[in-house]
Order: sequence, then C-alpha cells, then structure tokens
Amino acid sequence: MTVSDEQIPAASVPTGEGRAGTNGRGAALELRGVSKHFGSTVALAEANLSVRPGEFLTLLGPSGSGKTTMLRLIVGFEAPTSGQILLRGSDISHMSPAERDIGMVFQQYALFPHMTVADNIAYGLKIRRWPAAERKHKVEEMLELIRLPGFGDRYPRQLSGGQQQRVALGRALAYDPALILMDEPLGALDRTLRLQMEEEIRRLHRKLNATVIYVTHDQQEALALSDRIAIMRDGRIVALGTPEELYYRPGNSFVASFFANANLLPVDGHERRSADTAWVHCAGQELEVPAVGGGGEPAVLSVRRRSLRLGPADGLRLDGTVEETLLFGDEREVAMSVDGIGRVVAVLDARDSGEVRVGEPITLYAPAADTLLVPEI
Amino acid sequence: MRLSPRTSDRITRIAGFVTVTLAAAFLLAPVLLTAVLSFSNDPYFGVPPDTWGFRQYETLFTDQIWRDALMLSLKIALPVGLLSAVIAVPAVFAIHRSRLPGRNVLHVGGLAGIIIPISAFAVAMYGVLADFGLLGTYAGLVLANTVLALPLMLVVTSAALSRIPVELELAAMVTGASRARAWFGITLRLLAPAMIGGFVLAVVTSFDEAVFINFIGGPGLTTLPKAILDSARLGVDPVIMAVATLLMVATSILMILALKFARSTDE
Repeated sequence: MTVSDEQIPAASVPTGEGRAGTNGRGAALELRGVSKHFGSTVALAEANLSVRPGEFLTLLGPSGSGKTTMLRLIVGFEAPTSGQILLRGSDISHMSPAERDIGMVFQQYALFPHMTVADNIAYGLKIRRWPAAERKHKVEEMLELIRLPGFGDRYPRQLSGGQQQRVALGRALAYDPALILMDEPLGALDRTLRLQMEEEIRRLHRKLNATVIYVTHDQQEALALSDRIAIMRDGRIVALGTPEELYYRPGNSFVASFFANANLLPVDGHERRSADTAWVHCAGQELEVPAVGGGGEPAVLSVRRRSLRLGPADGLRLDGTVEETLLFGDEREVAMSVDGIGRVVAVLDARDSGEVRVGEPITLYAPAADTLLVPEI
Repeated sequence: MRLSPRTSDRITRIAGFVTVTLAAAFLLAPVLLTAVLSFSNDPYFGVPPDTWGFRQYETLFTDQIWRDALMLSLKIALPVGLLSAVIAVPAVFAIHRSRLPGRNVLHVGGLAGIIIPISAFAVAMYGVLADFGLLGTYAGLVLANTVLALPLMLVVTSAALSRIPVELELAAMVTGASRARAWFGITLRLLAPAMIGGFVLAVVTSFDEAVFINFIGGPGLTTLPKAILDSARLGVDPVIMAVATLLMVATSILMILALKFARSTDE
C-alpha cells in the first residue's frame, strides 16, 4: 500500500513545502516506498516520508507500529526489503551505519562505561581524526552546551540518568551529523526529569537547528517537541501533520482517539454538505458538523474531552449517567455512559462541576463546530 | 519456659556464630597445620617437628623431580587457559549475540565438564584419547584439561557479555566506528576483565587437576598434583607439605585476582 492522499485525508496532506522534498532536493531525509519484511511479517509497508532540514519530526505510535523498524532502517541497523532512503539527496539505503553521517541517542543512554564523559563525547571526533587540540576544544564547547561544564573527567556511572542522557546528546551532536535520531530518549527517566529534558531537547534543537527524527509512544512528548508528527499503526504512516493539525483536525478515527484522546461516537447516518461539512445523525439528533475524508466511507463523530461542557449550548446534546469522576486540580474528568453510544469521557472545569455525583444523571453539550466527522479506520 | 523474642534472637545469633566458626576452623585447620609443618627441618615426617627451617623448600626447588613436575604443570596450565579463551569467547558471542539454532545446546554442552562426575568423565576421556592415540601424551593432557577448564571460562565470560548492552556496539557504529573497531574497542574491551578472570580460573583448574592425570597420564608425564600423590603413596615425604603450602598460597592469590577482574566488568 502507498500512503496516498486517500489514506492521509485533509489535515495530514503535506503542504507545499513538504512536497518539495519528493524530488530529493530540499529534503534532509527522504524515504521512498521503504518497506521491511521479516519473513511473512510486514514491519513497515511502503513508507514515504520527507523531512525538511532543521525539522523536528516525531514518529509516534503504539509498540509494534513500525516506528522502531523505520528508525533502524534509517540508521542502518537493518536493510530495507525494498525502497530507497536518501540523506541530503544521496542514497544511503545499503550503507553501513558508520558511513551515513547520523547521530543517535538511545533509550538506555548507551554511553561507553570505560570512557570518561569527555572521551564519550570525543568518540566520533576521534574516529573522524580531528587533531587533539580541536577535539579538546569541541568537547569543552559541547559540555557547555549540554550544561555539564567540568564533568569531562567523570565516568558515566558517576552521573544521574538525566546527566547521562545529556552526555549521550553531546556525543551525538559533537560531529555535527546530517541527522539526529532519538529512540525514546526520555523513556528511562522519571516524570519530573522527563519534563526538564523535553525543555533541554527543545532548546538544543532551536539553538543548533539540527534535523531530528524522534521516536516515542508518548503523545504528550510528541505534542511538546515536534514540528511535525507522523502517526504510525501496523507498519504504516496513518497521518502526518503539525501537532495542531493532528490534534484539532485528525484525519481519521485512530488519530482522533490515539493522539487527541477524543471520544468516538457512532453515527446513524451521515451525508456530505460540502467539501468540509456534513449532516450527521447522532444520539437521536441531526446536526451539521465539520468533516474530513472522502465522504463515502464509514465514519464516526470525534468529540474531544474538553469540547464537552455542562451549560446548555447549541450543538450535540448527550444525556447519560455519571460512572466515575476524577479531580485533577483545576479540571475534573467525568466518565458517563450514554444509551446507544456507550462510555463518553469529558474534562470539565473543576469548580463548575462540583455538583456532579457518581450514579446521577448528567447532560453535556458539545458545540457542533468543536466536533468532527472522521473516517473510521 | 518462654523466651522473650529478644532473648531467643540473641541465642540464635550466638548459635549461628558458633556453627560458622566451627565450620571454618574445621576447614582451615588442616590448611594451617600443613603450612606450619612445611617449616620442619627434619628429613622425616613427625608431629611436632624436632627442628624448624626452610629445608623442605630447598629440597623442593633443587630436586629435579619436583622441578620437572612444576614445569610440566605450568606447561599444561598456560595453553589450557589460552585454549579455553579461544574457544569460549567466540562461543559466548554465538550464544548471546546470534540467532544460531541450537545455541542453548551449545551453552549447556560447554558446561558438561563441571556437570558430569569427574571420574566418569575421566573414564570416557580415557576411551576417546585412546582412540586418537593421544593417551599418555602432552597434547592429550592439554586437551583433557581444556574440557575441564572451559566451563569456568564460559560461565565468567557469558555472565559478563550478557551485561554488556548490544546498544553500545550500535552506538559506536552510528558514531562512525567500523564494525571491527566497535567490536574490539567497545565490546571486547569491556569483556577483557572477565576474560582475564576466566583465564586465571582455567589455569588454576588445570594446575590443580589430580584425577585425569591418573587415567590419561603416562611415564614421563608427572604433573605437580601427581608428584604429590606419588610421594604420599611411597611414604610421607615432608617436602609435600612445602609443595602443598606453595600451591595453596599461589591458588588463593590467583583466585582473588580472578574474582576481582571478573567483578570489575560490572562497574
């Protein structure tokens, strides 16, 4: 299968600049119909992707979605079954990892335990035969950049997890590679540290203007860091776009629920009104809502949790029974069950929803403009 | 009578201490006695010795029989150490880093030397070496001792390799290292302490070997353990106290070194 416009509806069709990559010029990295089969298992199916210079692109997907396979193909730990990988216009599909000019950050840091921090950072420079004086200078510069000045003589085991990951970043950035790959680099860190490191990565990316491909299964991380996100499922890219596009106008039901945590409400019927609006019959009501996709395929109504509110409003009305409430400080998550629809989750203002009680009936409203008819996949 | 938990706690602790002390004394007393008796200056065996001195050690280092035995033991033990490294290191890579079918069988097979009872193993070895005409030869002894020493090398290097993440080698390769450079500079370098530890263990095992030699040794092939055994059989020569003491000291030092090296891989 090709990831054609049909599979990446509306929001996810790359805009003009994205398309510039397809001729090989202007793109830092390009994947042309790249697939990887392990025996009869298809780990990656004909992926097409173009990454712009200086772009921060995230591969987001649940485990087994093919994101790690794609990363391993790009870095050269695996060879593609078919297709081409181009880095700055030249075909690297069958080069060894060492020849590709890529830097990589691993989930478990992968620092060399028998080398000092300085030697770890200088590893790529030494291989590239930089003179000792320049190497030393560059190491100092990198230590400043990763905010670990004076740590050069320490060994990795003497550092905390966050510090080790910063050294790993320094090692990957030191030789100024054409592309930086990050494989769930924050996966081994605790929550507080993860937020700090997110900021650190954002700062480094802004400062160095490096091209980054970042792999994660964490939707929040992808939202916070990325210029564009490719959402993957079952070895395919099912959506590609900016965080805003994917969050507010997801191209299909998978993106809506996986990326925007939206409720997917079954519809009893729908009909196109224009290119981007449709009549839907949902929860016993008829209303005109924004729509994406071709219009012919089965569709569901996506309603984000924060689109639902207590006060009467024009649009979709849902009557149900409260199943569960959870207070998150300023907000309260309310799960309700609606006849004929099932479980619907809403995030309400905590103070407005103080009267919500488990087991009691509740009515919530969503403005029609805040819902979206999406193709079901 | 009821004991308070505190009292019974104390009693158990004292009982434990006494048991461990007795066990240690029981194990170490002969060792200490041997060491003390090795400084007897008598030409015959007697407890306690009538005179004290270094006579036994002088005999040991001047007597041709003992010197030859020591040299032969070393000439067997060192190649055994090297051979086990040469066999075990590629084997542990196959076991841990490849998709080779039957690699678990390889692992268990490699450990056979310490699993099978040694006398049964020696009988089997006798048959095999006889078939190949290696009975009573130097090469036969080296091969047999290698089978015996290999498991230790395998255990030590296998444990160490399983603690070296594959990612380190991959990280080196992305950073620009050739496969060979990543392998020698990172993985093998990190495995080196375990290899040295395993080597020492293998050498000590071979050096101490006293069972196989009686089955597959022959005239002119008298290792140090065999010489001790022969000497003890012919009548108690006090020289063997000196031999035994030296052996114990040397092995202890080597074992401590081996453990130290094997452990340093963790850091």
